[in-house]
Amino acid sequence: MSGRVPCSNQRRRTLSPVYEAARIYYIVDIHNTPHLPPPMSTPQATALSVRQRWLTAVPYLTVLLFLAVIAALVWFTRSYDEEEQRATLINDVLWMEQNLQFKLERNAAQLAQIGQEILAADRHQPQASAALRQLVRAENGLVRVMWLDATGRLQGALPPIGDGEMLGEQLGEQSAANLRLAKALERRVYGPVYAAAGDRQQFEVHVPIYAENGFVGAMIGVYSLHDLVTHELPWWFAERYRVSVHDSDGRELVAKSKVAPLSDRQSYSMAFDPPGGGLTLQVTAYQGETRWVQVLLIGSILLLGGILVWSVLQLRRELQRRHRAEQALRSESLFRRAMEDSMLTGLRARDLDGRITYVNPAFCRMVGYSAEELVGRTPPMPYWDPEFLQQTQEIHDRILAGDASPEGFELRLRRKNGERFDALIFEAPLIDAAGRQTGWMGSMLDITAQKHAEELARQQEERLQATSRLITMGEMASTLAHELNQPLAAIASYNTGCLNRLEQPEIDRSELKDIFDRIGRQARRAGDIIRRVHDFVRRSEPKRERLDINLMIREAIGLIEADSTKRGMRIETDLEEALPSVAADPVMIEQVIVNLVRNGMDAMRDNPPARRTVRVSTRREGDTLVVRVADNGTGIDAETGRRLFEPFFTTKAEGMGMGLNICRSIAELHHGRLGFETNPDGGTIFTLSLPVETP
Amino acid sequence: MTQPCAHIIDDDEAIRDALQWLFKTRDVACATWPSAESFLEALEPGWRGCVVLDIRMEGMSGLECFDMLRQRGNQLPVIFITGHGDVPMAVAALKKGAFDFIEKPFNDSDLVDIVMRALEIDANNHRAETTRETVEARLATLTAREQEVMELILAGKFNKVIADDLCISMRTVEAHRSKVFEKMEVRSAVELAQLVNLVRNRTPH
Repeated sequence: MSGRVPCSNQRRRTLSPVYEAARIYYIVDIHNTPHLPPPMSTPQATALSVRQRWLTAVPYLTVLLFLAVIAALVWFTRSYDEEEQRATLINDVLWMEQNLQFKLERNAAQLAQIGQEILAADRHQPQASAALRQLVRAENGLVRVMWLDATGRLQGALPPIGDGEMLGEQLGEQSAANLRLAKALERRVYGPVYAAAGDRQQFEVHVPIYAENGFVGAMIGVYSLHDLVTHELPWWFAERYRVSVHDSDGRELVAKSKVAPLSDRQSYSMAFDPPGGGLTLQVTAYQGETRWVQVLLIGSILLLGGILVWSVLQLRRELQRRHRAEQALRSESLFRRAMEDSMLTGLRARDLDGRITYVNPAFCRMVGYSAEELVGRTPPMPYWDPEFLQQTQEIHDRILAGDASPEGFELRLRRKNGERFDALIFEAPLIDAAGRQTGWMGSMLDITAQKHAEELARQQEERLQATSRLITMGEMASTLAHELNQPLAAIASYNTGCLNRLEQPEIDRSELKDIFDRIGRQARRAGDIIRRVHDFVRRSEPKRERLDINLMIREAIGLIEADSTKRGMRIETDLEEALPSVAADPVMIEQVIVNLVRNGMDAMRDNPPARRTVRVSTRREGDTLVVRVADNGTGIDAETGRRLFEPFFTTKAEGMGMGLNICRSIAELHHGRLGFETNPDGGTIFTLSLPVETP
Repeated sequence: MTQPCAHIIDDDEAIRDALQWLFKTRDVACATWPSAESFLEALEPGWRGCVVLDIRMEGMSGLECFDMLRQRGNQLPVIFITGHGDVPMAVAALKKGAFDFIEKPFNDSDLVDIVMRALEIDANNHRAETTRETVEARLATLTAREQEVMELILAGKFNKVIADDLCISMRTVEAHRSKVFEKMEVRSAVELAQLVNLVRNRTPH
């Protein structure tokens, strides 16, 4: 028997393919999986993504447009500002020119007036001198006034011409020409600019003076260009503008400037006439003072724009991150769903009330109901086998009570088409993210094929064992036969010899006597062999102990309980308390009870679940204890009943036909009896009676 | 042990004794051996008779003993006694050339009959054996020339033809011929042919 595979091994081996198959294959046909968004490559998705791209681009475009508009606004403001400045500049320049002309006009008028007094009246009146002095001031731009008589001779000057000064300077060729021109034109004439001592630029105005008798002389006012420009300008003008005078060649003759450099843009040139002669007056605005408000405004706009762009970029990055996370989450959830869907193990989630909240396709395939039919159902479930309804309900209640066995449990279930199948179910609490139990998660394996294979293997094993037992017995019988054959053969030979002798005429009596002795010896030898067999049998005599029969029964039932549960059988006991003890071999009695209960279960194999109970009872009846094992099985007909205890008689396909025979032998060894009667409720009652131990 | 007898080999003393008694009552000479080994040890080539061999024995089995016998060139007839389960074995032994087998428990008269038949056959064999040996001994005395002449006589040729074949004179042939007849102790060519055939027919075996 050592070569046989042990049952547990067998079980492990036959179960392993299921676990093998339960491994998850990750190849998932996304297109066929429900609840999935369409793949990204369809035209619809492309349109969607284009729109999305546009949507994501809108903020950037807006920001850019906004910045552009702001920049344009600033630029417009600036140019408008410049325009304004320029207008102001022109206004100012015009004003200044007017002012200068007015001053020159006024000076010339005064010179004419004073000249009248000095030259025409020919008298030096103190008023005239005072007026002259009044006139020759830096504010007026005049540095000297000279007067000439009609011939052009210098009559006087104020301030008087010193020795250090050359007369020619005042009365050069140009001066004389001017004078002549003035005299001819009878109006004042401005002379060209010339350089005077001390690096100064001067020009002259010749004012002809007429009296009643005609031309009497001329007043010459010498202007310092510098003074004129410098002193004539009001402070605010000088603050804002640089004023310079250029000659016809563009050389700068004099300038009133405080700081350089100057902006060329904001400048304005105009002819400086009088004095004329190609002089131009150029007014250039100083770099206007920095407009802090504007700078701040632009700065803050730029800063805010920058922040805006940055935050949009940040936002975009955040969005991308979120998108990636979402993508990862989605693929993860897809993967999980694919796992659940492609699993061969049935998965089922239930809430705490036992209502189904989720089933996977494998589960649906197993029970034959669709997910829609199952989700939301409460017990009893449609796939429960009605025959095992009560049992299933009990298991269900136990699970809900938190009493789920970690080894799982086997259950017979029914598919929608009525087909039964055996399932191995594991239940575990369903814990949500917050750590609370929200229900129960069950995984289910269809082990019908395994169970079937197991059953087949078990039957085969039993048959093999029976066969090997038979072989052993056959060998024993064969040895015994040989052993007995020897003396018998010898006896036969002696006997034939004797017969031969008896046919002969003379008989040697002593010889025959000797042979008969030998025949007797061989007969004794055969007897010895038989005795040895008896001895061998006697060796299995019971070892008697004082036994509590009820305890024996409980132990025996404990031995077969697992088997009975598996076969959907119940064993009920009805044991009388305080029974006297019996003198019996515990192992043998246990064997008898196990045998009888097992027979009872075998007899009820095809019974409906309600009628699958073996009842074991004990009673004291006088001096005997009676153990009754009652089943509701097929019962025993008369023919079977007659041969029931015969060795090698069996009604079972894989039976040996020794069980009841051995049981009866054991009963008889204990001076008891084994019998049977028909159960009034259907089936058979086996009765084992044992004598009460007499003290 | 020159007398022919039945050799009973059985490890069971009672069987040996009973069979010995049985054979004795039928006047069949027998010898008993408690094991195959002891028999094989004592066996001599000249022994005649037959062997009654139990198949199932302690030590060397009956079949092994049979094989050993045949290996040694011993042609004694062997009768197997078999138990109930040994019939296929006995059949195999028969195919190898055993004389017969008888199943235990057996009819003792049948056994004795078989043994007697075996003894008779062995005796016949022995006789044939003896004749053959004599002829061979006579043939051995012939000279080479005489042998040549004898072969031609056996071929049925006349003296004249033999003389021509061997290029010798008729008279010489006649001399050889009479010599051959004398040595072979025959009186005619027919007798010579019978005698020589006895040897020649067995030689191929």
